[in-house]
Parts: sequence; C-alpha cells; structure tokens
Amino acid sequence: MSHSTPPASEPNSTSTMPEQPGVLVVKKHHLLVRWSHWLNVPILLGLILSGTSIYWASPVYQHKPDPNTANFDVAADIGTWLCAHLPGLHHYSSPPDWIYNHMSLGPGMLALALRLHWLCAYSFMLNGMVYIAGLVMGGGWRSLLPRRTDLFDALRMLRYYLGVPFAKLIHREWLHPRFNSKYNALQRAAYFSVPVAGFLSVTTGWAIHKPMQLHWLAALFGGFDAARVWHFWLMWLFIFFVVPHVILVFADGWDTLRSMIVGWSTRVKRTEPIANER
Amino acid sequence: MSDDKKSDSLQPEETRSTGSPLSAKCGPRTDGAALPVAVGFLSMKKPQGFFEERSLPTIEMTPGHLRYLSRRDVLLFGAGAVAALAGGGFLLPQDTLSRLGVRRNMDSRGKEWFLNKALRIDDDVAEALYSGNRRVPTYTKSQITPLKNNYNGATPDPGYISGWNLTLDGLASGLGISLDIRNLTTRFSVHEQITRLVCVEGWSAIAWWAGLRFDDLLRAYPPMSQAKWARVESSVNLDASGNPDPYFMSLDLGTARHPQTLLATHFNGQPLTVDHGAPLRLVVPVKLGLKNVKAITKITYSSEEPRDYWAQYGYSRYDGI
Repeated sequence: MSHSTPPASEPNSTSTMPEQPGVLVVKKHHLLVRWSHWLNVPILLGLILSGTSIYWASPVYQHKPDPNTANFDVAADIGTWLCAHLPGLHHYSSPPDWIYNHMSLGPGMLALALRLHWLCAYSFMLNGMVYIAGLVMGGGWRSLLPRRTDLFDALRMLRYYLGVPFAKLIHREWLHPRFNSKYNALQRAAYFSVPVAGFLSVTTGWAIHKPMQLHWLAALFGGFDAARVWHFWLMWLFIFFVVPHVILVFADGWDTLRSMIVGWSTRVKRTEPIANER
Repeated sequence: MSDDKKSDSLQPEETRSTGSPLSAKCGPRTDGAALPVAVGFLSMKKPQGFFEERSLPTIEMTPGHLRYLSRRDVLLFGAGAVAALAGGGFLLPQDTLSRLGVRRNMDSRGKEWFLNKALRIDDDVAEALYSGNRRVPTYTKSQITPLKNNYNGATPDPGYISGWNLTLDGLASGLGISLDIRNLTTRFSVHEQITRLVCVEGWSAIAWWAGLRFDDLLRAYPPMSQAKWARVESSVNLDASGNPDPYFMSLDLGTARHPQTLLATHFNGQPLTVDHGAPLRLVVPVKLGLKNVKAITKITYSSEEPRDYWAQYGYSRYDGI
C-alpha cells in the first residue's frame, strides 16, 4: 500500500522542503469503536459456534421423528440433503451432523459449548459497553441516528446498487448518489440496527438464561420458548449483515478498511469547502 | 534543541504552527514538515441540534506520516489478529481442534481453570440474581404441556418402590432419620403448583405438581446449625446400559427454603410414575431441570458444598435460572 502514492509526495529526508504537499485526512472512528469493532469478530464467531452446539441439544426447529432414522432435527435433515445432493459430499461419514460439524463446535458437547458461550457472552456485553463509550466519546453516535429522509435515500441507494452490474455490462457511467453525511441511508440503517440487534441478542440471551429470576424479560419476548426463537434468528441477522458488510468493504477499497484500523480516511467530503466561510 | 529551532525558523509560516494534538504522537518522525496541522472542520455549518450529525474533524498531514500511522496500526492489528486466533483457538474443545486438524492435545490445567472461572462468574451472577421472595410464574391447567422422560440413562425397575425410604442425614439432632412415603404424605400439608421446568438442553415443559414443601421438611427435621447445603441423592438411578449410577445434586439451603421448592409426590393429578421419579422427587423451578432429582432416597445436609453429578462433566454447579 505504501508504494501507491506518486514519488512526488514521498517524504523527503530534508526538513526544509516547504512544498511538501499534505493530505487532508478525516478522523472517522474513535479508538474504542475500532477496538470493539474488531473484538466482535472472534467474540461473535465464538458465540455462533458455541450457540449452534447448544442448539444441537434441543433444536428449535423439529418435526415428528422419522420412522426410519428417528431423526427429528431439521438441521440434521439439511445436512443429509446437502450430502446427498452436493458433489464431493456423497461419502461424508455422518450426513446428519454435517451442519453441526461445519457451523458449530460439533455435536454432543453441550457442557463445553455452554462454558464457552458464557465466556463469549460476558465478553460481548463488556465489548458492547466499550463500543458505546467510543460512540459517545467520539460523537459517532450522531451519524447512526435514523433521519426523516432515510427512506427516500435508501431507495436511491438501492437503485444505485441494482444498476451497478447493468451499468458495468454496457460500460455506462453510473454515479454513486451523493450524500452530505458520514454514511448513506442504507449504511446508517445497517449500522444502527446491528447494535440494536446486539442489544436484543443480549436481552433474549438473559431471558433464556434466567427465565425465572428475569421472567418479566422472558415474557417481553413471548415467554421462554419464544425467546429462544428470537435469539436464534438474531444470530442469522448478524450473519446476514456480515456477508454484504465484508463484500462492500472490499469493494469500497483500502481507505474504508484502513479507517476502521487506523481511524483516518483520506476521503474528505468537499461539498462544503473551507474557503466558503473563510 | 537548537537544531530544531533552526530548522523550524526556515519553514514558511503555515507549517510552523504547532500544538496540534497529533504532533505529540508522531515521535519517531523527526522531519518537521511531517507535523500534521489541524485545519479545522471542513463543513462550517453550525450544528443546529444536539442530535444533528457533526462534521468529522479534518487535519492535514503529510502522506509519509499517514503511511507511518497506517503501517504502525496495521502491524498492531495483525499482531492482535494473530493473538486472537491463537487465544481463541486454544480455548476450543479438543474434539473441535482435532476436527480442524490439530493433532496435539491442547487441554491444560490453565485452560480448564480459565473456562471454569467463566462458569463460576456466571454462577455468582445467578446467585446474585436469586431472591428468596421472588415467585416463579405459575400457569393454568390449560397451559400444561407434555413432559418427556429425560431420565439419564434407563428408567429404573419399579421394584424399588415397595421398600422405598427417605434417609435424612446431617441433622441438628445428630441422628439419621428414615421416613417412608406415608410419614411424608400424612405429616405435611400438600401444596400444588403448575410451573415451568427448564432443561439445560433448551427445552421446557409446563407441569402440574403436588407435594410437600422442602421448607416444611427442614422445619420438622432441622439441619445442623452450620449447614448451608443439601446433597439430594437417588441411589436407584441407572446409567445408559442399565447399571447402577447413583445421581446426586447439590442444592443450597436458600433455594431449598423457597416456597415453590417441592418434594413432589404427584404429577398432573396422579401419583408419580417411575418415569417421573416415584414416589418422591424434587421440584425446584428456580433451578435447571437437572437439579430436579427423581426418586430421592437420601438428603444429607452439610456446611461444605457437596459434589454434583453434572459438574464432573463440565456443567455449572449452582444452575439458578
């Protein structure tokens, strides 16, 4: 990356070069936001893997036991189907365990999974507090709040995303909508709902974990059994968020990825230049 | 020092302004021109409300300094990622690691200690959340759901019921007491409740129980004064292959005294069947199902926390829910 800049702007060893051109950089993410963002990667991975191992012990989605295999777990059915239909999986040793062997710590390890799940869950809650502290200290929370124009702007962004492949195909210019804010409406919706989903994951988690002492919390989600369903689908919300999130970051380029590591971005919005008011 | 001043004075006016917050951080860079200079906010529109987005703080820095910051933080990030991968991988169960192709045994005493520490913290939280005055929700008869027989292993042979006795040990009197089922059902008043049983596996069932309060038994046969725990045991439990496998649970006396902690004799209006722990079982809705010992044969009071059947398999011990 360091060789991408033209040689003209290479820092000179002599400190008496007055023409040294500077770059304008903008501080995008507070240190605590960056730290908690990256810590979420191993924590959420640990929560999903151990959580799916816990799910194995009593699946949310069951059917009447199959007369031949006695299987009642829909996830096991999916594994069996995958192994029967995907090339290369025909000789998989235990098709019903395929999902649990690939999306969890493994079947039949409830105790170990629970222990890891509590460890990750407490880390996730602490990390969430660090994230909120970073949002408050850096003032970044304001950029996440929904706005009145968001629905219209989100549609503009959707139109843009849907048009990109077509425009690429016919070599037509297809301009990204311009926004005068840190995030566009779709980003804002995503970055606002993911912390909300995190909060709901924690609260549904407590409702499942302590359904007697916190029975009011379980009742809020429709009772103990319903809270498990909520908790399960909130996991999928994270997965559905992460996939386009990672794709779009790489599509957007190094500057965006760097801003979450280093904090600085060289993409300074020039919609309101300094000269205007000086 | 004097050299610095000399070079400083050679610079044009605008780059000489110092005191930007970042200038202090860029220690390793000695060339004065690399000092970033704050240029203030790009957008000069005054924020109108508390909730309105502020412009992002903008500064000017040399590309070299930006590269230095990027290199430093990306290296730190990489080191952190490697550390997280190693640390997280180390904590994974051995079975998972061997599936991932790790041949070496990564189990160690330190790892067990650390993971059990997390379990203890969670138990402490559960204990702090517990309140002896808080009743668990009760349900109506129309809300009753089927309760599966989750007997660990095989259901015992019903032959034990005819000679069944409950033995109490660790009493204030210093004597061991043996009670038959008639003693228990005639001496104590019967309490009924429809409560939810929650299993560690994740399923739950709403069941209608009747029996005596554990608290009433504690009053009739008080434990020794320093007792804090009860070991609730079933000697008739079998393992999966049908061999004797005594089942034992630790129960703190605080929970035993909870008004909804029953020594149940009836399930759904009928005397307990072998499946559900005839003739006497523990019903403790503020604990996980695994603490609801079936076919209790002995209760021992102690000052020290007794061993717990599932704790040896890595489950927690307090299990308050």
